[in-house]
Order: sequence, then structure tokens, then C-alpha cells
Amino acid sequence: MRHKIIYVILSIFLLSVMVFYMARLAPGDPLASYYGDRAEKMSPKERKWAEDKLGLNDPVTVQYVRWLDRAFHGDFGISYKYKMDVMEVIRERMGNTLLLGGIGFFLTFGLSLLLGVLCTWHEDRMLDRVICKVGTVTSCIPEFWLSLVLILIFAVNLKWLPSSGAYTIGKEDDTADRIWHLILPMTVVVLGHLWYYAYMVRNKLLEEVRADYVLLARVKGIGKRSIMFRHCLRNILPSYLSIMAVSVPHILGGTYIVEMVFSYPGLGTLSYESARYQDYNLLMVLCLMSGSLVILCNMAAQAISEKIDPGITHTE
Amino acid sequence: MAGQFEIVGMRETAQVEPEQKKKWYEGKPVVSIAVLVLIVTGCLACSLITTKDPSYLDLKNYNVPPNQEFLFGTDTMGRDIFSMVWYGGRISLFIGIVSMVISTVIAVIYGTVSACAPAWADHLLMRFTEIFLSVPGLLLVIFLQAALGEANVLSLSFVIGITGWMSISKVIRTEVRRLRNSEYVIASRCMGGSFFHILWRHLAPNFVSPVMFMVVMNVRSAIVAESTLSFMGIGLPVEVISWGSMLSLAEKALLSNSWWMILIPGAFLVVTLLCITNLGNYLRRNVNRQERNL
Repeated sequence: MRHKIIYVILSIFLLSVMVFYMARLAPGDPLASYYGDRAEKMSPKERKWAEDKLGLNDPVTVQYVRWLDRAFHGDFGISYKYKMDVMEVIRERMGNTLLLGGIGFFLTFGLSLLLGVLCTWHEDRMLDRVICKVGTVTSCIPEFWLSLVLILIFAVNLKWLPSSGAYTIGKEDDTADRIWHLILPMTVVVLGHLWYYAYMVRNKLLEEVRADYVLLARVKGIGKRSIMFRHCLRNILPSYLSIMAVSVPHILGGTYIVEMVFSYPGLGTLSYESARYQDYNLLMVLCLMSGSLVILCNMAAQAISEKIDPGITHTE
Repeated sequence: MAGQFEIVGMRETAQVEPEQKKKWYEGKPVVSIAVLVLIVTGCLACSLITTKDPSYLDLKNYNVPPNQEFLFGTDTMGRDIFSMVWYGGRISLFIGIVSMVISTVIAVIYGTVSACAPAWADHLLMRFTEIFLSVPGLLLVIFLQAALGEANVLSLSFVIGITGWMSISKVIRTEVRRLRNSEYVIASRCMGGSFFHILWRHLAPNFVSPVMFMVVMNVRSAIVAESTLSFMGIGLPVEVISWGSMLSLAEKALLSNSWWMILIPGAFLVVTLLCITNLGNYLRRNVNRQERNL
């Protein structure tokens, strides 16, 4: 247990070092994101003053230590672009991403289980083949293109659904309006990942169905349905859970692209902006958040699979 | 007496050999390979099949729907989409293959080194890949691309290549760890075989089949990465024609409802990806399937 905690802390620390150095070594002008167009017209003296004010003239290591010191006191600095505390900026957007990613995650989780069971039930029959074919095709469609096609069909031509944003301006608190705006992005998030996991469930179930205990249960006269749901499904569920834990960041990464295409105000668009415009403080926190999420989810997955099969140790 | 009984034994039965011989194409992704070959030859021979210069800005005919002259229409800058699709495919496929090669080489070397290294170094190297995997891939690419300056075909394939090797290297490591203490590897090492000699002659032939699928899928994800990046405007610029950069005009196309600018390059992209996936799945498919008990 102690090893694990040390490992998590160490990983997050290394991640922060990597992101910090990479962001600063990448060319680009952080002043441009702070001062906008004015940055280009600054005299060298003004520039120096501005850089001193933001602490950009010190060696990178000094900057890092200062950042770390402040971070330990809960101060992650201000966003250069929004001129607000980083946490404030993130808090505003976090809900939107959690809504999209969270609901998307559970929908993917449930639907893929359902599809997997359906395919196994009808193995090698028409339904299974159709689902498999459709699944392979959808898994090949890049998320951004799927979004474009959906926008083209449902927003531009049929005018049924909005093409961007998270809510109509002035209707921030209207739940129905938010759901309205969520439909298209959600479809893309779910469709983009659904097949991968459904296929996994199908594979695992197909393996399970060939186990000896199923034969025994059949011989004892237990119904097919009850074997499938009481025994097979139950057996694969823990390993499926661990796969889903690993997939959290995967799905999160998927929402990032979708957010960008739909200009949905969430963490994805924010990360993209901050990386593009050298908004260092914001970038650091966003990277650390997603990185820690990945690390924690991996830990959770390991813990689950160790619980299922105590023989597995991950030191090897 | 003799006619009363008959000696019974195994009854002679005519062994009916199942006549249906497997045709050569059965179970193989023939259609996918054919389509893929078609697309690849079309892209390689693009100057023969296209009638127009893909980069020529025909300002009189911009945003024209598909017609006799412009088979797939023209984009908002007046370029002929039919020619662009073939020229663009060349670049997209090139990026896919080059970055696959880069990732595979890194993955093979990294995975093998990690597997052959002492336990602590192995541990360290694998943790490093995990940390690498935890930075969102897209951000990593944006950083690297920013560091390399204006994107061109080679720099983009390089960036995609060096961000896509982690999962392959993990598989290779597992395989090599399994193999590294085999007699033939030890024998080769005793006879003074160098690291690359052992890797190439003894280890690689053994891990080719489990890795093949991932390598093919790597081409696919590299093509997806290229198109996504170019679409977002941080990959190839609009003047360098690829399937992704063609789609970067999609925003304008949505405004004018010009479906051909979105659907046609995208369809080429998806069909190619689909063929590659089928190929990959074929490589992975399990041949001996057991009878189910349910």
C-alpha cells in the first residue's frame, strides 16, 4: 500500500516536471495570451517589465520550484488569458465536461455490456454479424468526422439540434436546453467508444460460454438465460470493471476532440487553448488533473484485478 | 452352424471425406485488400488519373457541387476535390506508414532493452512509459509540434511516430521477457552475439505475430491522428493537401452546406481505415475456435 502511494506521488511529480519544462521550452509567447495584441507592440523595456511581473525571466528550474512552493499552498497562479485564478477558470468549465464525459462513460459502459451479451447470445447468427459489421465500421470513423457529419445532417440540414455550445445564451439554468445541446456531442462520444468495449465484452463472454461449468449447468437443466446472466456475466463483470477503470482517461480524451468540434465549453477546449497559447499555469493544472486521473484509474484497475485473482501481482 | 452366427465387428462404413475444399480466398479479407490496393495505386498514380492541378485555385469555380467537370466538386478555395483526394491520400498514407515505422522501431528497441535490463531498470523504464501514456496524447503532439515549428509532412510523422510507441513496446517487453531465457538466446549470447543480432535473428521472429496486429493498427491511428490534427489546424497547413487538411475547411463548408467537401474526403478516409482494420483483424484472428457449451 505504501509503495503505491509513493508511486502515485512520484508519478504526479515527474509528470509535473515534464509538463513544466516542455511547456517552457516550446517556442511561443506567453505574453501574447496575457496582453493579447498589445504584446506585439511593446517596447523591449515594457516587455522586460511584463516578463518580470509574470516571473518569466528566471531560469526554468527556479520558476518550477516557485510554482511547486505555491502549489503546495493551494495557489496555482492565475490564467494569463482569463486573468483569473486558475481554479476559478477550471471550476466554471469542469461541470460541463463532467456532464458530457460522465454520462457518456456510463452510457458506453451499459450499452457495450448490452451489445456484448446480445452478440454472444446470437453468436454467428445474423444479428451478431450485423452488429459486428456495423461496429467495425463505426470504430473506423474518426470522432471529428462523425461530429461533422452529424452536424451536417441534424443541425445544418434538418435543423433539429443545435450545432455548438452547451446552452442557449440566457438559458443557462434550463435543464432541457442543456440536454438539447448535449445530444449530438454525447452521440459522438458514445459511438466513438462503444464498439471497442462491446467487442471486449463479446470476446470475454464467448470465452466464458465455452467453460466447463456452463456444460455442467446445462446438464443440470438450468436455463440458458439464467446461465448467461447469473454465471457468465457475473464472471466477466470484475475484469470488465477493471477495463472500464482504465478506459476513463480514454473516454475523457475522446470528449476533448468532441468538445473542440462542437465548441463545447469544457476542459477539452480549455486544454487546447492553453497549450496553444502558452497559458502556463492553466496548462499545468489541466495536465496534472488528467494525468492524476489516468494514474489513479490505472491503480484502481490494478486493485480490482488483484482482488479478482490474487495470483496476479503487478511487480512482474 | 456356420451360417447361424456371424462374426460382428466394426462395420465397414464408407469414409466420406468432406469434399468442399477451402477456396483460396475464404477467410481472407479479399475485398478490403482489393479496395486498399485500389486506393494506394490511385494515390501513387495520382498524376495519371487526375485531370486538374490539385493546388490550382480556380477562383471562378469555387464551392461548386459535383458535376461533369469537377467530379467531386470544388472547395471554398476553388480547388478540384477529385484531384485533391488522390494527392491528399498520398500524403496521408505516407504519414501513416512513416510514423508507424518510427513507432515500431522505437517500440522494438525500447521493449527489448527493458525486458533484458535488470529488474530495477525494467521497472523504471516501464513506469516511464506509463507516465508517458498518462499525458493526453493530443497535448503531447501539440507541444512537440510547437517545438518543431511550422508543421510539414516529415515533422508531423515524426511527432505522431514518437508519441505512439508505448503500447507496442509493452507487448514486446512481455514477449521478450518470456523468450529471453530460452536456450537459443543464451546460446547465441554465449557465442558473442550482439544485442541487435539476437534481437533480429532470435527474438524478432518470435514476437512478429503478436505485434503485427498492433503495428497495422498503428498505421490506422497515425492516419487518424494526422487528420484530426490537420482538421484542428495544428497539423498540416491548408496548402499541403492531405485528407485531414481538406477537412480543415469543414467549418466553412458547414456554413454554406456544401456536403461534398465534408463527405467525400471523409469517406475516403473511413474506407481506408476500414480496410486497414479488416486487415489487422485478419492478422489477429484466432484460427482454432472451440465449440461453445451453452
